[in-house]
Amino acid sequence: MYPAVIDTYDAPTSVQEALQALANRGSNSHFLAGGQSLMQAIKARVISPKSLIDLQHVVELKGIQYKQGGVRIGAMTPYRDIAADEGLDGAYQALRDAASHVGDRQVRNRGTIGGSLCWNYIAACMPPTCIGIGTSLDLVSKKGKRTLLAEKFLHGPLETARHDDEIVVAVTLPAPSQFSGSAYKKWGLVTDALPVVGVCAFIGLDNDGRCQLARLAVGGLATGPRRANAGEKALIGVSATDASAISEATETAAAATETQSDMWADAAYRKKLIEILAHEVVTTAFARAARGKHS
Amino acid sequence: MNKEISVTINGEAYQHSVPIRLLLVDFIRDIAGLTGTHVGCTFEGVCGACTVHLDGEAVKSCLMLAVQADGRSITTIEGLAIDGKLHPLQKAFNDHHALQCGFCSAGILMNMAEFVRKNRKSTEEEIRSALIGNLCRCTGYAHIVDAIKEVAGMPGKSA
Repeated sequence: MYPAVIDTYDAPTSVQEALQALANRGSNSHFLAGGQSLMQAIKARVISPKSLIDLQHVVELKGIQYKQGGVRIGAMTPYRDIAADEGLDGAYQALRDAASHVGDRQVRNRGTIGGSLCWNYIAACMPPTCIGIGTSLDLVSKKGKRTLLAEKFLHGPLETARHDDEIVVAVTLPAPSQFSGSAYKKWGLVTDALPVVGVCAFIGLDNDGRCQLARLAVGGLATGPRRANAGEKALIGVSATDASAISEATETAAAATETQSDMWADAAYRKKLIEILAHEVVTTAFARAARGKHS
Repeated sequence: MNKEISVTINGEAYQHSVPIRLLLVDFIRDIAGLTGTHVGCTFEGVCGACTVHLDGEAVKSCLMLAVQADGRSITTIEGLAIDGKLHPLQKAFNDHHALQCGFCSAGILMNMAEFVRKNRKSTEEEIRSALIGNLCRCTGYAHIVDAIKEVAGMPGKSA
């Protein structure tokens, strides 16, 4: 497979230059992040861009920074760096769970968190993970800046709230409360395959070890990544030792999630996967939350 | 449509005007004439046969455009042995009969050369996990894993 003719290629070194390049090139211009999804689409001619604006040299879009307990991850930070960052352990460890099993080593060297969120593929790990841990996205255009929660940014598969003239510059995470933990797990047809279903849990505990904040997010859905609100509500007040309450909550989460049938899994099987994965990630998130803050 | 690029491959500078749509793997094979880098799946980027080092990092050269490598340094399988001395992985692949048809070998060696540089003492599970991005249709991986273990396995556990 070979791309259709591409007229222009720009390799800006700053966000401002990238925005200017986009303005100069006009319609059918695409930002290229790590290229591990977009290049496939370009080679298959699903997308035939007139202009490509490659963000690989925009240094300000890379890296993980810790500020006042919160975390800022540049949109062009590759999976490899997220998978290796122990500073995320505890509250935001779900990001490491997800990033360390995306694709393969080569993909993790190039693929980026921002690219994955902007692509919002149905079988992707970053979208549900970022919704689950309460991520916000910072977007910049020539007109200004705005910040959106991941669950507002991510719509149906391959759809986001990003306008054509915007760059996602970073994802940010708030300072977590002391006893917070998260986890992500996916199920695919082979090891580290694209997820048929992926589930992320975030648990915040009070001083008595009871859940006071719960978020559950599910990926692999025809509706796009979604929170499982009914399951979240059922976890409030529950403690890690309350096995039957956790099981009930994850059953509720699965039952209340709309699932589709396709060649990888039928709707009922997807619900079963959601239930089992949710149980695993909730249990892991409880354990991580109980350990308290690392930093 | 075309863009002038300069790319260093295995220490040699290549300066060419290339179509923007030219894939890096095709630049390496057709323009630089280095055909050790293979094209397997051609589309999805799942087979790993085209893996090269881009400034030392293992990447799939079919998922990049040649213009993206402008100003950068690439190492291909032809550059893995230095002054005729095989890389330890290459020697281990020979010793363990870790290849049959050889189609996947270049990509596996390039991926795992980066892996062993970063991971000197790995479990078999870690080695197998690191191989996910490379398909081999002959060997069943057992001999490949043995060869990698010899270079980067846990002490006392190497095959």
